[in-house]
Amino acid sequence: MGALTVGQGMTLMEKLGILADAAKYDVACTSSGVDRRGNGHSSGNCVACGICHSFSADGRCISLLKILLTNECIYDCKYCINRCSNDVPRAAFTPDEICTLTMEFYRRNYIEGLFLSSGIVQSPTFTMELICRTLWLLRSRYRFNGYIHVKAIPGADPELIRQTGFLADRMSVNLELPTAEGLKSLAPNKHRRNILTPMRQIQNGIHANRNELALYRSAPRFVSGGQSTQMIIGATGESDYQILEVAQSLYRKFELKRVFYSAFVRVNEDRALPALPGGPPLLREHRLYQADWLLRFYGFQAEELLSESRPFFNVLLDPKEDWAVRHLEFFPVEINRASYEQLLRVPGVGVKSAKRIVAARRNGNLNFEQLKKLGVVMKRALYFITCGGRMMYRTKLEEDYIVRNLTCERNRIQFGSEGMTYRQMSLFDDGRFQRQVTPQEKLQVAVGQI
Amino acid sequence: MTVYQCEDSMESVFTAVYRAYEEKRPPEEVSLSMTDEPMLFAEFIPVEPDRERTRKVVSTLWRNFGEDDYLKICMALAAPDPEKGQAVYRTIVHGLRDKCRQGHLFDDLKDDYVRKTFELARGVLREYDHQRGFLRFKEVELIQDCRNVAEDPGGELWGEFSLCADAGASREAGARSVLYARIGPKNHLLTFLMPHFADRFPGENFIIYDESRKIIGIHPAEGREEEKGETSGTGKGEGIRKEQCERKGGSFRGSSGDAAGEQKPMTWYLASCGDGFTALDGLRSSGRELAYQELFTYFCLKIAIRERRNLELQRNMLPLRFREYMTEFQKNMKQ
Ligand code: SF4
Repeated sequence: MGALTVGQGMTLMEKLGILADAAKYDVACTSSGVDRRGNGHSSGNCVACGICHSFSADGRCISLLKILLTNECIYDCKYCINRCSNDVPRAAFTPDEICTLTMEFYRRNYIEGLFLSSGIVQSPTFTMELICRTLWLLRSRYRFNGYIHVKAIPGADPELIRQTGFLADRMSVNLELPTAEGLKSLAPNKHRRNILTPMRQIQNGIHANRNELALYRSAPRFVSGGQSTQMIIGATGESDYQILEVAQSLYRKFELKRVFYSAFVRVNEDRALPALPGGPPLLREHRLYQADWLLRFYGFQAEELLSESRPFFNVLLDPKEDWAVRHLEFFPVEINRASYEQLLRVPGVGVKSAKRIVAARRNGNLNFEQLKKLGVVMKRALYFITCGGRMMYRTKLEEDYIVRNLTCERNRIQFGSEGMTYRQMSLFDDGRFQRQVTPQEKLQVAVGQI
Repeated sequence: MTVYQCEDSMESVFTAVYRAYEEKRPPEEVSLSMTDEPMLFAEFIPVEPDRERTRKVVSTLWRNFGEDDYLKICMALAAPDPEKGQAVYRTIVHGLRDKCRQGHLFDDLKDDYVRKTFELARGVLREYDHQRGFLRFKEVELIQDCRNVAEDPGGELWGEFSLCADAGASREAGARSVLYARIGPKNHLLTFLMPHFADRFPGENFIIYDESRKIIGIHPAEGREEEKGETSGTGKGEGIRKEQCERKGGSFRGSSGDAAGEQKPMTWYLASCGDGFTALDGLRSSGRELAYQELFTYFCLKIAIRERRNLELQRNMLPLRFREYMTEFQKNMKQ
């Protein structure tokens, strides 16, 4: 089998620069649910909740050595910096270089593991084989026992995908664009069916492996961290509703662990791509992540959050607040009696605080003061709850009134001196996904671009 | 009122808890103090940490409340809070009295003591999560003259590694070197960080130095069982005092190993360093160390998306106080 010849004579530093730069748009995270203790001799273990090792200047977590094997590519996806029609410096790692970098970064605790993707060289099968060989080397020669996330290349020989699956913790096939039409317009070499085939194969592989593991505990593990995928948001014309529906069916039909949303960044000059004067649609991406959480952990369905007639998320309210103010018949919820599922639907109550409420009220009724201490965000929850039959303040259960208060509270407290930024309230307990709405976004909102 | 006066250690608090039960004192009339603040009309009992009593308390907690809640108690005791002993004591009393089942010790967050312990544990866990990722090792060279000088306080420490360095010489690269990390956490995290890294890097010699507490964690590479007997005696050096020499691997985590089942227990030590402690001064990076530091710093630069630049978000996620210890934020690195 041939080796890659591009970029020979480059230093490791130069290669890393090019191949990390080319991989940066891929999203991955290590909280995969894989918990693997060390085996007592080789390097590595995995932690179910994932570990962030650093944060880059864009505020995104750095947890994996995220690189391409090569940025050479025979395809011509319009949104991609590596497309064959672009004149950019090309490079390729040797398998040993990747292994050494991974091991040396890992033992210095820079990273949690490796994220390996690649442009398509020669053919999908050829590329997949390179990837597979690299992983094999890393696992068996270098005895790396840490986390590996790898891309499955659509169109590659299924047997290679299978073998790779036994070496990786997570695999992902990128959906790239939410709909088949979008794909056709921006990625002429890719086809929806080709993308879904390996996704299905991996899903089936995980199922078969589960049965095997039930029989033989020591059977080799296949993609134990599940599979994920990624969609580019805002490069094509899909609505939030369409995107969320796609995500929902990926979770249901393909049992994906995660769907990642990636705000479109315009790296190429191409008439087929939208011009985004305000920069990448970050707020939209943020709203999709919030809604995604609601689907996975809060028992919501896409159709409850959006519809054909309301296909876009509210800019000022998060999806849960937005749902709540449109479903006031559901409220107020009595904290001391409501079911866990009902509690989850209250704005300001997260998964953790809902669990704490259910546990704590066994020993007697809760009051507002205690609720606050359990982690409920009272200034958002207060419109929707009662404690012992009473509301915290005299408020009106009325859509306009609540919206005005939810948003004006925010404005009063959150608007900075420039008067343009406010901190976006987060749906999540840990605040990990908080981000600000930028002036550009305010502008985008104003001109209806979001 | 009886006041048990504890040192700032898990052993001490657990011993006091045991004694309060042993002496059958009503919990309302007991207080665990970690300061020497005087209290009127109280009987003061200084507590000597006792291994056997501690062991009994640990096994009771583990059996009754399960591993997770036991760990939370340990975490709470790692916080720099003088009230933690009292909070933990009353949490245990509460749990035993209410016969809390495993995993339910912290259900009753309405109770002030239970919530206090819970919040302390959560704070420690948060910093632990950060530290586990943000800690940076660098590869250092063993210092020849340092480990040969008998009077040197650090002599024993380096002796430890010189053994593994020799033993490892025939093994793969990596076993020959020592990884060194310096941290400055708010909480006493070494007892949690050591098992994590010992599990992750069984074949590495590593040292983590907590400069806020002047405590050092030492993990010699596995695979040199014979030599260990000799070096694990009580420390003689003035500056360095070995605190825990026994295997700690089992005492914080369950034996819930993976499919492989039979794992070797992990070995690591904690040692507290006195004022004269200088063994870590002037550590020299290994020859290739700088190259990897530069590679990683460059990687961090390249992986950021310019169009999404958001330094405030970065600061929220990675508080500034960690950065002085992190390779990729050092000024001399080309960022
Ligand atoms: S296949 Fe398309 S998206 Fe992937 S590297 Fe090639 S051009 Fe870029």
